[in-house]
Amino acid sequence: MLHAKIVDIKLNKILLSDAEKFISSSNYGASIYFTGTVRNQNNNKTVIGITYDSHDALVIKSFEEIYEEAEKKLKIKNKSVFIEHAKGYLNLGEISIIIAVACKHRDEAYILSRYIIEEVKKRTPIWKKEHYQNNETDWLKGNPIQYEKN
Amino acid sequence: MKIKVELFGASREFSKNNLIEFEIRNNSTIKDIREEMMSYVDQNFSGNQDFKKIVNSSAFCNESNNIVSDNYKITKDEKIAIIPPIGGG
Repeated sequence: MLHAKIVDIKLNKILLSDAEKFISSSNYGASIYFTGTVRNQNNNKTVIGITYDSHDALVIKSFEEIYEEAEKKLKIKNKSVFIEHAKGYLNLGEISIIIAVACKHRDEAYILSRYIIEEVKKRTPIWKKEHYQNNETDWLKGNPIQYEKN
Repeated sequence: MKIKVELFGASREFSKNNLIEFEIRNNSTIKDIREEMMSYVDQNFSGNQDFKKIVNSSAFCNESNNIVSDNYKITKDEKIAIIPPIGGG
């Protein structure tokens, strides 16, 4: 069971309580909640906020692919997964991503949670623009998406 | 024919409109779009090397939301998206 969404922060909030409602079930004995939040330092610069940009359709597609792969690669069949990523400007400490997973046992819950965030970092089309104290901004350098050159 | 390239991430700095329109010949490919974008950077940003790096390291996505190869043939009026190196979370 998967819930995958991009949350436009101007219109909605990204809430842990939504994740809890979605994955909560007596079918599962282990739940992991991962949140990514905006940090105040990066590359020796003082960060005051981050604007997140996203290609919404591709993001949802990548979340679905990662979920499907987890079944094939990790052999974790019985699971509930909630993934939301924020879009727009976030202040320090605000949540940019929630990955909540529920599985039968803790081993598979930890593995699944880690797998999802690492894959999101590698291939989900989301970009960060950092905002600094002196009104400067910078798009962070990321990982190129793999594609066939010819 | 005209095509629109939708801008994301660092490539949003290329235009305030969040997209760039190009007039291209029929049967053009993503490789041709990449070259058009390089010329666009030359003309509008004096060949800004950082912008050129973005164009060179980006993937492109078609209207059906598939990442496509450089040989992908663009159809009439298709909207293409440039996908610069990513880094969410």
